[in-house]
Amino acid sequence: MSVVEYAGRKRVRLVSLAVVAALAVGVVATVAFDVPLESIFTPGYVARSMELAAPITLAAIGGLYAEKSGVFNIGLEGFMIFGAFFAAVGTYFAGGSGPVHAWAGIAFATALTTVLASLFAVLLIRYKADQIVAGLGVWFIGLGLAPFAASVIWGSRNSPRIPSVGRLTVPGLNEIPYLGRIVFDQSPLVWLTALVVVGSWVFLYRTNYGYWIQAAGENPEALDTAGVDVNRVRYAAVIFSGAMAGLGGAVLLAHSSSFVGTGQTMVDGRGWLGIVAYLFGNYNPLGAAVAALLFGGVDMLQGQLQTLNIDLSAKLLELLPYVVVIVVLSGWGKTRVPASVGEPYESED
Amino acid sequence: MFDATVLERLGIALVSILTAILLGLLMVAAAGYNPIVFLNNLIVGAIGSERMLARTLRISTFFIVTGVAVAIAFRAGVFNIGVQGQFVVGGLACAMSILWAAPYLPSGGLGGVGLMLIGTVAAAVSGGLYGALPGVLKAYADANEIITTIMLNFIAIGVVSWLITNPFREAGSTNVQTEPLPASVGLPPVVFGESGFSVVGLVLTLALVAVVAIVMARTRFGYDMMTSGYQASAAVYSGVDAKRNVVATMTFSGAVAGLASALFVIMYQGRFLEPASIHTYGYDAIAVSLLAANNPLGVVPAALLFGGLNSATSYIQIYSDVPVQLIDGIVGIVILFVAVPELFRMAAHRAEFGGEDE
Repeated sequence: MSVVEYAGRKRVRLVSLAVVAALAVGVVATVAFDVPLESIFTPGYVARSMELAAPITLAAIGGLYAEKSGVFNIGLEGFMIFGAFFAAVGTYFAGGSGPVHAWAGIAFATALTTVLASLFAVLLIRYKADQIVAGLGVWFIGLGLAPFAASVIWGSRNSPRIPSVGRLTVPGLNEIPYLGRIVFDQSPLVWLTALVVVGSWVFLYRTNYGYWIQAAGENPEALDTAGVDVNRVRYAAVIFSGAMAGLGGAVLLAHSSSFVGTGQTMVDGRGWLGIVAYLFGNYNPLGAAVAALLFGGVDMLQGQLQTLNIDLSAKLLELLPYVVVIVVLSGWGKTRVPASVGEPYESED
Repeated sequence: MFDATVLERLGIALVSILTAILLGLLMVAAAGYNPIVFLNNLIVGAIGSERMLARTLRISTFFIVTGVAVAIAFRAGVFNIGVQGQFVVGGLACAMSILWAAPYLPSGGLGGVGLMLIGTVAAAVSGGLYGALPGVLKAYADANEIITTIMLNFIAIGVVSWLITNPFREAGSTNVQTEPLPASVGLPPVVFGESGFSVVGLVLTLALVAVVAIVMARTRFGYDMMTSGYQASAAVYSGVDAKRNVVATMTFSGAVAGLASALFVIMYQGRFLEPASIHTYGYDAIAVSLLAANNPLGVVPAALLFGGLNSATSYIQIYSDVPVQLIDGIVGIVILFVAVPELFRMAAHRAEFGGEDE
């Protein structure tokens, strides 16, 4: 079976699964509750799903770069928590209530998570840390220290209200039925995410450095022989993964009204969904974005059903995305992991 | 981390703990609190009085059992992040089976023992089955068990919470909880009065640790599990069915997680409460097991340490202004350090040979 055929088959399976899931939900909704579908899949629903998908997509892109280069960054959830927290801190201390301050917070968060990711990369690559254990460590540190620092700053694990970035509205074009709301009246962060997705795809599959990243994970010896420093490529990929997860956390914050540090924090498993998203997407940025959109859509679906007063327990509906992850992962779990993931590389010289 | 000697591991664990606590104290100071007072509160909160000691031992007991559950899977090379979910499912099964069986058994001591046995078996079986699920998905559908177990945690907490809110809720109660267990169900407190801790529970726990350690080290089942973890291909050549082995490991691990919740329900809660409000024993157990290098015997001291830290949080929360989430952060830093033995090796190397480059 050729590579193209193989990839094609995967895509067919993913799409068919998504269609089946959507159909099943639709049939249940229409038959059991007599709900017209057009009042569920509104333009607002699609736009909101994209907003929910953006943070997951960014984390997924970061994770797939690290894993492509041969390092499993399982700490995405932790980096997202730090990203959301730093964005809240940055926005809060920027002091105003406009979108400019929100953007300042996002930039601050991305810069700081990049620093943290660099430290993490040193532990993984130079000191050959156990990648799974260290990643879990980052998760726990995020879960503990972000709410701790929030309490020190604000006297509560949650931040006060934080200004958001608002929407990017193109006057006139936003009047187009359906597409207007989705495309021309959308969060700028969704467009930033789309840019990152396409950019990452081009970088990964159309530039030399992109090939080096793939070689670092598939065949580090060959890359070394070709005169490229394997560990340097891996450093770049891991730092990028942390930065993207941090940006994802910041985007999550910018789309909501305050930092929530109680329970599993506001990130609430989205970093893990990011890992699932790039596994579904078979390590392709475009595929990962589609998978993230699927999660965003399912997540939004339960909110949508609730607003329509459909008599299903909210508590059970909230579980829908997690169930979908398990179903899809079981039907689609067999992804081809890069050959050298998890192995520290040591140059022979 | 698996190629270190026992002594090295012990050293790494100790240095990790000390460094993490030191970093924690630095953060306390940076946040504007007195680190000496914090350290004092930490110690007093863990072992300062009989009541606090009982609390530490109670939490440690749950950590030991959940830690062993994690260790079983990790040792076999399977990552069971789902102990929290298995714990929650087992806890509900324990409470409900006891409540359902109570009318059919005598109300005296013998009936109580019978009920506890029923509850324990129900918890172990349901925890085991809930653990088997991601095992089956990993073995036969190649679904990554790290992800599925985390998703199953969310699902277990949500579904059990729904069940306790709706069909299984105590009649007329405004709290999300089941009916209380009959008075005949419970462990005698022995030394520590009404503390939710029983020495009998601790003894049973240590017996469980011994049994698991023997199973892992001395039986065919344990041998197959361990070789699968260290040398998957060698295990297959020696005739181990890798897929069945994964399922068996996860079932075993989940069953032990279920036992932890049986202890939690019978010894401590006396009913089952809103699972979202239960302490994250299953997640902390990962830290316990990792600190113990996934050795069932090593889990005991590691659980005592984390039990003490956790117990102290209640005290610190009441008697100081320092936000207690810091302690979760310290636990995370311990794990991070445990993951990097090389860091300490190099540090030791440098200290010895002074400035010489690696």
